[in-house]
Amino acid sequence: MDPEITRALSQTNFTAWDWGIVAVYLSISVVIGLKVKKYVGSMADYVTAGRGVGAALGVATMTGTEMGLVTVMYSAQKGFIGGFAAFHIALIAGAMTLLVGLTGFIVFGLRKHEVLTIPEFYERRFGKRVRVLGGVMLALGGILNMGLFLKVGSMFIVGITGLSSDGRALPMVMTVLLILVLVYTVLGGMISVIITDYIQFVVLAVGILVATGLAIANLGWNTIFEVVATEMGEKGFNPLVADSAFGLEYVIWMAFLGMVGCAIWPTAVARALAMDSVKSLKKQYIWSSVSFLIRFIVPYFWGICAFVFIMTKAPDLAPLFLEAGEEAAPLSNLYAMPVFMGRILPAGLIGIISAAMIAAFMSTHDSYLLCWSSVITQDIVAPLRKTEMTPKARIKLTRILIVGIGLYILYWGLCYSGGEDVWDYMAITGAIYFTGAFSVLCGGLYWRRASSTGAFLALLSGLVAVFGLAPVQDLLGISIPGARFGIASIVLACLTMVIGSLVFPDRPGMHDVAKTAEEGGDA
Amino acid sequence: MNGWMLLWKAVFILGVALFAGMSVWVTIGGFGDIKRLFARLEAAHGTKPEDE
Repeated sequence: MDPEITRALSQTNFTAWDWGIVAVYLSISVVIGLKVKKYVGSMADYVTAGRGVGAALGVATMTGTEMGLVTVMYSAQKGFIGGFAAFHIALIAGAMTLLVGLTGFIVFGLRKHEVLTIPEFYERRFGKRVRVLGGVMLALGGILNMGLFLKVGSMFIVGITGLSSDGRALPMVMTVLLILVLVYTVLGGMISVIITDYIQFVVLAVGILVATGLAIANLGWNTIFEVVATEMGEKGFNPLVADSAFGLEYVIWMAFLGMVGCAIWPTAVARALAMDSVKSLKKQYIWSSVSFLIRFIVPYFWGICAFVFIMTKAPDLAPLFLEAGEEAAPLSNLYAMPVFMGRILPAGLIGIISAAMIAAFMSTHDSYLLCWSSVITQDIVAPLRKTEMTPKARIKLTRILIVGIGLYILYWGLCYSGGEDVWDYMAITGAIYFTGAFSVLCGGLYWRRASSTGAFLALLSGLVAVFGLAPVQDLLGISIPGARFGIASIVLACLTMVIGSLVFPDRPGMHDVAKTAEEGGDA
Repeated sequence: MNGWMLLWKAVFILGVALFAGMSVWVTIGGFGDIKRLFARLEAAHGTKPEDE
């Protein structure tokens, strides 16, 4: 690593005391994983905590899952690049979650059917082949989506602790964190995930409020806005202006993402399916709209503060993080926020904030690992087997898959070389699944004439989103915004659902299932 | 630009204030929910280990 970069990154207030705080927190998490193992008696316990989660705990676990360290990192990157204009993504996400909570769009219907996973609903409505394809698309999009989580989360740890002086620090941190998260996810399933999500919520809530207060105290409330206005101009505030980092097409794409993020994204839906009643579910979504706003807006603000800090108080960092003309910055701007935090937070507090962030990291990983592995077990392997799988065999397979996916994200994090922002990478990989899922769920819940062929074609349409990935575009020699491919795949999925259903309707007998689905889908 | 600046200031302050209030409710209410969750699981399956 360049000595200049090493010197800049090693200036942190992180001390041995802070390492102690982090170690205590991680130990508590692992012990919880071991303690709650005895409560796992069935696949429903393992995947949905026996559907016994109350409203307040539901909000905590929804926030814990959706406000992961990777969210904090990619959002800070967006704030660093786009300024306050990035806030539109947060506002849309919060508004969409509130809307889903008030109307029950999709999630009420799924909860009423008491399914364990979304593809399970596909089978009830459209048959086994749609369930298996839905499971494959979900697992493909979802596992690709979390491919960078481990690396990006570890970059935060490396940046805030100053470990960066050693070039091997990043893979080492990735490996240690992965082992920790695998241990308690494999052991406890959803029950341990929900309990650790709760602890994370408490630690994280205190952490983000204190860190935000300190950032404002350090830089000055008015200075933050003035520096962005001076350095970025209108594009630092208006997401629709022509030369901003966003634009109208991007805002439309974000509006769709805001809706699917809470109503279709499996880790969020898994929380909905774990609730003890539809009433609790409604309450969970209405309150979680605040979390969906905060999970973006606070990290955007931290990224903006990192930018202002570099421009006003740490000019030595500017050549490392900011492009000089055509020349790319030598260091990933993902490091900007943790380096900023490492410099402004005092010893002791930095340990608590780091523990909160590692908590965020772990609670997201455990939920995602559990989600994708249970989908492969429940929706791909079990339906394809000729003999019924016992609950014990299902839990065992899910645990093996958790470890397998963990090893994949370690490999992918070290190998992927795409040049897009992390958020845009996640949006486009997620689109492989959710564009098809959106039309299939809408059709399945609200349109009686939706057919299995239409659903099958709609799910396949999601593959168009792959062309939005930077390495795929490089391979094809094209340069088209990922948002455009995302919007194109939504349109294609809806069209194939409608045309496929009208041209290839299901046999009359299957409409009994359709009727049941529609009744469940009434919000 | 001033309109956008005012909007983002308001959204940020309101969002953080709501989150602070919600955190208190979730911290207290969530603890009660955890106790009820375990009581429910114990009643449904007992506390026998999964591999028994």
